[in-house]
Amino acid sequence: MAFRFPRFRFNPITQKKLRRFQQIRRGYYAFLLLCGLVCLSIVAELLVNNRALIVKYEGRWFFPTYGAIHTGREFGLPYEYEVNYRDLKETFAGTPNWVLLAPVPYSPIENAYRNETFRPRPPDWSKGHYLGTDQINRDILARLLYGFRNALIFSSSFIVLTYLIGITLGCLMGYFGGWFDLFIQRLIEIWSNVPFLFVVIIVASVVPPGIGMSLWVLLSIVVLFSWTGMTYYMRSATYREKARDYVHAAQVLGAPTRRIIFSHILPNTLSTIVTFIPFTVAGAISSLTALDFLGFGLPPPTPSWGELLRQGTSNLNAPWIVASAFSALVFVLVIVTFIGEAIREAFDPKKFTTYQ
Amino acid sequence: MSLRTSSLFCLFGILVSGVFGLSGCGKKADSGAAKVDASTPDMEADLAQTIKAQPDFYQFKTIADLPTNLAWEDGQDLPEFADPNAKKGGTFNYFIQDFPRTLRTLGPDATGGIRPYMLDYVGVRIVQSHPNVAGRVMPGVARQWAADPAAKTIYYRIDPDARWSDGKPVTTDDVVFMFYFLRSPHLNEPWYNNFYTTKYKTLTVYDPMTFALTVPENKPDLVSAYSEFVVYPRHAFKDFGPGWLERYQWRILPTTGAYTLLEKDVEKGRAITLTRLTDWWAQDKKFYRGRFNPDRFRLEVIRDPDKTAESFARGDLDMFGLSLSKYWYETISDAHPAVQAGYLVKTKFFNQVPRPDWGLWINSHKPTLNQLDVRIGVQHATNLDLVCAQFFRGDAVRLQTRSDGYGYRTHPTLTYRPFNPSLAREHFAKAGFTQQGSDGILQNATGQRLSFTLTAYSPALRDMLPILKEEALKAGLELKLEVLDSTTGWKKVQEKNHEITLVALARSVEAYPRFWEMYHGSNAYEDAYFDAAGKPVQTFAAGKPNPTPQKVRVQTNNMTMTFIPELDRLIEAYDKAETMDEIKRLGAEVEQIIYDDAAWVNGWALPFYRVGYARYVKWPKGFNVAQSRAPDEFFLFWIDQDEKKATEEARRSGKTFPAQILIFDQFKN
Repeated sequence: MAFRFPRFRFNPITQKKLRRFQQIRRGYYAFLLLCGLVCLSIVAELLVNNRALIVKYEGRWFFPTYGAIHTGREFGLPYEYEVNYRDLKETFAGTPNWVLLAPVPYSPIENAYRNETFRPRPPDWSKGHYLGTDQINRDILARLLYGFRNALIFSSSFIVLTYLIGITLGCLMGYFGGWFDLFIQRLIEIWSNVPFLFVVIIVASVVPPGIGMSLWVLLSIVVLFSWTGMTYYMRSATYREKARDYVHAAQVLGAPTRRIIFSHILPNTLSTIVTFIPFTVAGAISSLTALDFLGFGLPPPTPSWGELLRQGTSNLNAPWIVASAFSALVFVLVIVTFIGEAIREAFDPKKFTTYQ
Repeated sequence: MSLRTSSLFCLFGILVSGVFGLSGCGKKADSGAAKVDASTPDMEADLAQTIKAQPDFYQFKTIADLPTNLAWEDGQDLPEFADPNAKKGGTFNYFIQDFPRTLRTLGPDATGGIRPYMLDYVGVRIVQSHPNVAGRVMPGVARQWAADPAAKTIYYRIDPDARWSDGKPVTTDDVVFMFYFLRSPHLNEPWYNNFYTTKYKTLTVYDPMTFALTVPENKPDLVSAYSEFVVYPRHAFKDFGPGWLERYQWRILPTTGAYTLLEKDVEKGRAITLTRLTDWWAQDKKFYRGRFNPDRFRLEVIRDPDKTAESFARGDLDMFGLSLSKYWYETISDAHPAVQAGYLVKTKFFNQVPRPDWGLWINSHKPTLNQLDVRIGVQHATNLDLVCAQFFRGDAVRLQTRSDGYGYRTHPTLTYRPFNPSLAREHFAKAGFTQQGSDGILQNATGQRLSFTLTAYSPALRDMLPILKEEALKAGLELKLEVLDSTTGWKKVQEKNHEITLVALARSVEAYPRFWEMYHGSNAYEDAYFDAAGKPVQTFAAGKPNPTPQKVRVQTNNMTMTFIPELDRLIEAYDKAETMDEIKRLGAEVEQIIYDDAAWVNGWALPFYRVGYARYVKWPKGFNVAQSRAPDEFFLFWIDQDEKKATEEARRSGKTFPAQILIFDQFKN
């Protein structure tokens, strides 16, 4: 008997919503653009890297992009630390060995002008610095791309964590109601009145020495002070659904709480939660950029857009720094907002909800 | 919710708001005037008691007891360094980075940005080192002085003209109070308590204008080593005692200097302005005339240094420091339109002062860093040569020893260990780090990676850190960068929690360096030395060294946690040395041991300072004095009001002047 995978189908209402989203040209193309950028950042090491893609040396093939470093000695150079592939390419000129470099052959943390002064340099296409270098000779395009990747990791993890906590707590509050709801609501009110940026700065600057600042530590601090946002919506949505007949019917039939919440209530509320996601992404990227701009975010030399903006504003006589960072930030936030508006319009509950 | 529950809630709410409301109705705290009530301490009573309790220190004699064969000096033969024709007047617009947390010059938070203008630059000391002639002092509050090296005593005659800014004369009452004040445990300043207790043996008062100080050791620079202190006004500290910090937080005290503060000029959080005393007692005296010229000295709070640079370029500020390469070469470059139009003048001045000891301080108490080979490897893995050449654009030089800039070489041959990755790898291999991991970092046999955290907290230098990190990779060393804000970072280092830190301690202008604070073992461990009975003691001379000390001593400047008994013996002998030859000989031995211990990586020094100022700010010939560390330290400048009007008109009309980029290297060595 032939084995067939069951075809995964969205339910017809969801299919209609997705089709409607596709019809909103602006949002749809923005979505495709964002997917393209995300794919680019996933393969960033193949596009922007100071490591070569392929090296052929004395008949052997090397693929240095991912994996262990190759020391200079492996390629006949007299030093133990990682080989400089750009110099290697020049050394191999005229020999049967060759090096294929990445399209932009610089890493975001290396000093690209080793024997020259540290100062910002304007874009120089002949050298491969398409957006110029920053104030300590690092390539700006590299820092933008890897910074974008950091921002994406941060914002997607941020969404997963805050929504997980927010949706769970909001749903429970809505379903159980009573004293539980009251108590948690008061807690949430107090917690959400804490001024977010200030307290994140304070906590970030007194992280104990044994832990040190990293993307994950910063993420946990930021999530700790922003999880309350989703609870309001989920709570009221759950209250609304709980009053519906189908939930009463399920209770009468003896369904356990878990089943009612997961099989009945959550699916009906989630479709509208999806509309919040793009705006939360925009907010997360802005928060990370703001913290890095103030110097309280990721430690140096981590590439980040906020750090590039800070360099840009303190080196206004080198306008290419602030221009690149600012344009990139505006561009990404604008397309995310377009996606958000399109989703909101496509998933409009007024068109697709049935009332009893 | 039932009616009963909701009414219970309402009751609860009323009670809570009532509590808050009542607490808000309390009496407003007094803003600063001294309240006299039962709990205010009586300073005079405590002072009288202290004098009775310490008869060895506080001695009162009569003028008939004053020795007659003293060689009184008055320093009048020394050259003037200010321009006596400087014009008084005008408002000088300058900036501070943060509003001071207190107006006190002692106690917590007092070493903030305003202290130089309240005390160090402005207050007149008993005598002061002449800033152009090494080894000589010029008069201050004391008009004459006489040194008696055999008796280890210095005698002083106070200038009868010396007055506080409120008109009261300066007398030996104030000197007696000063010593009581700085030795008092209520002060919350252990360094001052220690200094004024151990460095002075006796204060002898002869009459209201004459006193003498007896010291425990003779020194080559006897007078300047012990006499450059500022006296405190006894009549303004009537309620000094426990809790003085809060009472004196915003109190404006009388001063002997030319500038004072008026209540209305302390604009909290925004600006603070000093006002010149028009009847200042030292106004026409040699060494003080032609100085302290602007009528008002306004310090505006501007937190961002780049915004400060732009304010200066626009003409809102009259002066701005350009020592950092970025500001001299990029922000206010020679080609800047305001510089080319001559509105702003750029000046580079080579000075002769002990240099701050910038460098990497390695905590040798931490595991792995306690191995000498690892430390030497770190020395060779730190490419501060590149930093000097490219970050400072060749302006900076690397320090040769722990104590550069003292007017003589503290060691004839020592110099820094150069950047050399292969040599670093050799030393790391000797310490057991022989394998290179897949990420380029060395590992030892147990798989431990050669990785340390580099703590830094100077915002201007944060851009140099990735350079050090990248270059250290070449030696297989990983430096994890940790940039903290200055308070958190300093606290971490003072608690000895760092592995490696990038910091410098400022050096006072003295004839010879100090080593005790930074290298004596008692500043590293509380249980460094034990006496015969097993009780901890503080010196090598008093006990035996502990081979396995455990208790780290925090809040000291021994940031490398150096504990070498032989070094402590030398440092104690150095502190007791009485002639310059002995000081130099012992100092060289101390430097050698410190070098061999390799816990401090030589950093850099700028042998000059650079400043930009508006063209109407005038300076004496030669621009400044050899021993200045900042252009405004000796207040030699003045504002030419006619030029200022002309410059403002020129900015409006577009008229230009010849560009001025000046270099003064008469003190370059």
